[in-house]
Amino acid sequence: MSGFAGHTALLLRHGLRVEFSSPERLISPLLFAATILVILTFTLGEPEPAMVISWFVAQSYLTGFFALQISVSRAFEPDTPDGAFQLLRTYPVSPAAWFLSRYLLVLLMGSMVLLPTLFLCAFFHSRAGITLIDGPVVLIAVLSLMGLSAIGVLLTTMTLQSGARQILYPVLYFPLTTPVLLAAVESTTAHLGQGVTFGALMGSWLGLLLIFDVVYFTLGLLLFGELIRAT
Amino acid sequence: MLVVEDLQFGFRHRPLIRNLSFSLNPGQLMHLQGPNGCGKTTLLNLLTGLYQPGGGRIRLLDGEQELDPPRHREYLASESNGLYGKLDAMTNLRFWSSLRGRYPDEQALIGELAAWKLDHPLVRSGFPVERFSTGMKRRLALARLNLSGTRLWLLDEPLNGLDPGGISAFEQGLRRHLDHQGMAIMVSHDASVFRNFAPVELSPNGETS
Repeated sequence: MSGFAGHTALLLRHGLRVEFSSPERLISPLLFAATILVILTFTLGEPEPAMVISWFVAQSYLTGFFALQISVSRAFEPDTPDGAFQLLRTYPVSPAAWFLSRYLLVLLMGSMVLLPTLFLCAFFHSRAGITLIDGPVVLIAVLSLMGLSAIGVLLTTMTLQSGARQILYPVLYFPLTTPVLLAAVESTTAHLGQGVTFGALMGSWLGLLLIFDVVYFTLGLLLFGELIRAT
Repeated sequence: MLVVEDLQFGFRHRPLIRNLSFSLNPGQLMHLQGPNGCGKTTLLNLLTGLYQPGGGRIRLLDGEQELDPPRHREYLASESNGLYGKLDAMTNLRFWSSLRGRYPDEQALIGELAAWKLDHPLVRSGFPVERFSTGMKRRLALARLNLSGTRLWLLDEPLNGLDPGGISAFEQGLRRHLDHQGMAIMVSHDASVFRNFAPVELSPNGETS
């Protein structure tokens, strides 16, 4: 099984095996998210009815975003200690297949952090009328994750060899992800608060979110090869 | 056949390799020698594609036909083995082989591990390689090299951490590779490993140790 699809599947399967061989990599962002949500819920108490949706959106995206940042910034961690990343660079693997597999891996692992975070946050606000599993909200969250994953993989690769990685990564990541987050937050608020349909949202914030997803994914696909050549 | 023509490389304003040309025929071993800092590892990094040359070209030929280098070369770095510490020996070997489109069966993998004394059932499967000793990790990396089926081996201090048994296994593997018309370029400060071979000597910048 070689070629683009074969290598993508192989690298993805291998990435999943590596991720699950070290459960701490999934558990630590999940525990972080749960802790933040519990702290926020207990300190802020019961919100005013008019504020429930804003609080739900703010809490879930804030928590999810920081938990994902931990997860995404460690995307290449298992490849670096014994030089596997450098060795992969010498192998006959197309950079596009490598990027796509890493992107899908981050997307899958990110979903395992983001979806429980959303569910837990909805659970804390369920008495105030927030549905535990709301299809459009989940879809918007996954769409935002798609953009965050693409830019996250790209920036992690870019800062891989930098001595100032711990500073450089958040400095680049936060401004670049702001449009994605803004569009996701506005879409979720409009859907939950004003009952705006998914179709109507496509003409505004959700459309913008999709555009950023496409732009960041395309950038990743195009630039990844150059970045791994430069590391 | 490996053909290097007018190769040039430098770090910023410090030229390290200037107009280096050489060729290596099937079945030949090249010993890269010279003092520390003369460009041995840099030359290997250029040949692996990890560094981009400032000028010149590197070609891998099969008769008149030019080959795609990544498919036909395997690299062993001096300080790292390219292993995934949380995975076991068999899974590591399977992964790197499958990236080359090679799918050795269980027995072939065990056979290769046996050559490196890593075939004990409690060592080869279900035991993360991060718990291996330095020498065991090196042996596993060399097993990967043997399984790669590539024509050109690029070896930077391959004996690091190996005991006499490991060195002997390495020499046998290298002999087999050369006998099968493979090529190898090796950096090693332990000259004794070359005693049973007749390597071509090369210093990347003309300095000799």
